[in-house]
Amino acid sequence: MSTVATEEIKLTRKDFVSDQTVRWCPGCGDYSILAQMQRILPETGVAKEKTVFISGIGCASRFPYYMNTYGIHSIHGRAPALATGLAIANPDLTVWVITGDGDGLSIGGNHLLHAIRRNVNLNIVLFNNRIYGLTKGQYSPTSRPGTVTKSSPMGSTEQPLNPIAVALAAEATFVARSIDSHPQHLAATLERTAEHQGASFLEIYQNCVIFNPNEWTDLSDRRNRDDSILYLEHGKHMIFGKDRDKGIRLNGFTPEVVSLDEVDLDEILVHDATSRPLASILGSMEFPDYPAAMGVIRDVRKPDYTGELMAQVETAQAQRGKGDLNQLYLAADLWTVEEREETEAREITPSSSDFDEMPITGLDEEYIDEMETPAEVLSDFQDLLVTSTLAALEPNVPITMGMRSSLARTIRQMNRHNIGCVLVTDEEDRLVGIFTEWDVLNRVAGLVDDLAQQRISDYMTRDPMSLKDDLPIAHALNLMSLHGFRHLPLVDDNGQPTGIISFRDVVGYLNEALEEE
Amino acid sequence: MNLQTDLKSEHVSHLVVSGFAQVPAGTPVRDTLARMRADRRVVCLVVDGEEPAAVQLVGIFTERDVMRKVVDVPGMLDRPVDEAMTLDPITIGPDASAADALRLMDEHHVRNLPVVDGTGKLLGIMTHQAIIQFLADRYPVEVLNRPIDPEQFPRKAEGG
Ligand SMILES: Cc1ncc(C[n+]2csc(CCOP(=O)(O)OP(=O)(O)O)c2C)c(N)n1
Ligand code: SF4
Ligand SMILES: [Mg+2]
Repeated sequence: MSTVATEEIKLTRKDFVSDQTVRWCPGCGDYSILAQMQRILPETGVAKEKTVFISGIGCASRFPYYMNTYGIHSIHGRAPALATGLAIANPDLTVWVITGDGDGLSIGGNHLLHAIRRNVNLNIVLFNNRIYGLTKGQYSPTSRPGTVTKSSPMGSTEQPLNPIAVALAAEATFVARSIDSHPQHLAATLERTAEHQGASFLEIYQNCVIFNPNEWTDLSDRRNRDDSILYLEHGKHMIFGKDRDKGIRLNGFTPEVVSLDEVDLDEILVHDATSRPLASILGSMEFPDYPAAMGVIRDVRKPDYTGELMAQVETAQAQRGKGDLNQLYLAADLWTVEEREETEAREITPSSSDFDEMPITGLDEEYIDEMETPAEVLSDFQDLLVTSTLAALEPNVPITMGMRSSLARTIRQMNRHNIGCVLVTDEEDRLVGIFTEWDVLNRVAGLVDDLAQQRISDYMTRDPMSLKDDLPIAHALNLMSLHGFRHLPLVDDNGQPTGIISFRDVVGYLNEALEEE
Repeated sequence: MNLQTDLKSEHVSHLVVSGFAQVPAGTPVRDTLARMRADRRVVCLVVDGEEPAAVQLVGIFTERDVMRKVVDVPGMLDRPVDEAMTLDPITIGPDASAADALRLMDEHHVRNLPVVDGTGKLLGIMTHQAIIQFLADRYPVEVLNRPIDPEQFPRKAEGG
């Protein structure tokens, strides 16, 4: 096995971000999934060049473009088939399959089943938005009955598939579920998905803000999601609720929600991720009758496909020697395909402009109107998040230091101005680094003997993330929440710092602006 | 629905609060720093008592204290942390609202509030980060799911 030198290097999130323009709609849950994937991959310790993302077709399936790893945006529904081939041909690779509810369960349902059934060493992630997003909102095999879409104007009459039940039907050795709007849970579940050997199947409830925006609101609403989600932990009681006052009990074969005030703890089910029957029960619990089970539903170890297959190949080769593919070809009947004379031109089919002129009936218009009514009016607060720019925060003028400044001088300046962070600039006053109290604690205090002898440029964080002040406040909150930044530098078009904002500024501003109304 | 009503109805116990490092009172500053670095924490709680269940919070020592009282003060590294910490820090209970926490932080100009329950158990540190996380989860469409680079535009049209 070849070991690439870069495996030794500790990768960061940035290493997994590609230079491609992301083409999802603003607000799409796919962004959250991408951000968490980029966050957890460095933790798994797998080298970039050993990681491959394979997808089919759909919005979800655009994922490989945005990962700075190998990737294949393949054929509709066929990602599991391609991935199977790759995983077998090169077992050193970590292969992720990214698919949607349409890609993975309509056209590709078959391929998905067999990759799981064979326990190929793949991490399969299915983004379930219960709609075809890319083709502009037709119902999908996971859409609930009654869902009104462009292809089901009177409401779908079909029984939806439950992806967890599908994976279990194929005896998946790892089955899990998470949701885009809960980044911590999502990150932890992605990590578990990556760890498992064999086929891992993760369903992510994903919000399509454009064509199916209300699908997951009960589960994603931060104020009461803990009442609608059962977070699973192996070996722990199935307790849930914002105040952890409800539990799941079995009544015969049927699970039921009980209040912990009325039922003893030992009657409450304990999660066992190795139990096949329990996995089926958890998979069958549909919201709103039950809380949605989230986390690892099943996790067992079975021989993976590549290992078994290659062992057979080895045995066969030991008995009969290495085969010759060329000879195998030539052993069959051979014939030559000749070019044929062009026959008469085919009949021309109507062009799309002919269709445009066909009249739409009144009935259709009625349904289209119904579908296009906006679902929810934005609150003032949501409005403020996206319409106010960072300039409105009237950011503080930043304290900057030249790269050659000494640590002693820098720390004196920070204490004089009573600030927790300074920006570091080059000869042309462009932002090149940031130096914070955490750096002082982490790399300086008690570790550096003579503060006057050391340059700030050796202790700062290089190339910090910076923003222009015409971006909405929501963007700053996004970066602060994803990366835990407390301060964000603002720069102008030349890259020169113009301000610095902290979370305190943001909250202060939002509070005040709302009071004025 | 606005920020204040949101934060008033959310208990501190329902937020994702930060973790902390912990050392017994009397620990030299040098060892306290080592503990904080090892745990990757910007806050260290200084406690009395051995039993994990019965420790008593006596002070809080943060990166700010490192900045102002340690890094360029000769001899501090070998002094006990008690001399650089804030004695009897302001704390908050798990049932207080997020709005109360923000108000306390604002009034007392602190950014780390130890969360302590009725029995004196230390549960975590309430910071602005917990509020950011709450807002991101509460408004995923506006905050969480933003284009990564808002200034990047596609150069050509493309399907699939
Ligand atoms: C062979 C083929 N059939 C149909 C289509 C049209 N098509 C493109 S994407 C898609 C469904 C995508 O749904 P899903 O996998 O749920 O992805 P989403 O866009 O919702 O993320 C369909 C039917 C196609 N591109 N190719
Ligand atoms: S159409 Fe829906 S799923 Fe596709 S990018 Fe837009 S919001 Fe996301
Ligand atoms: Mg879909």
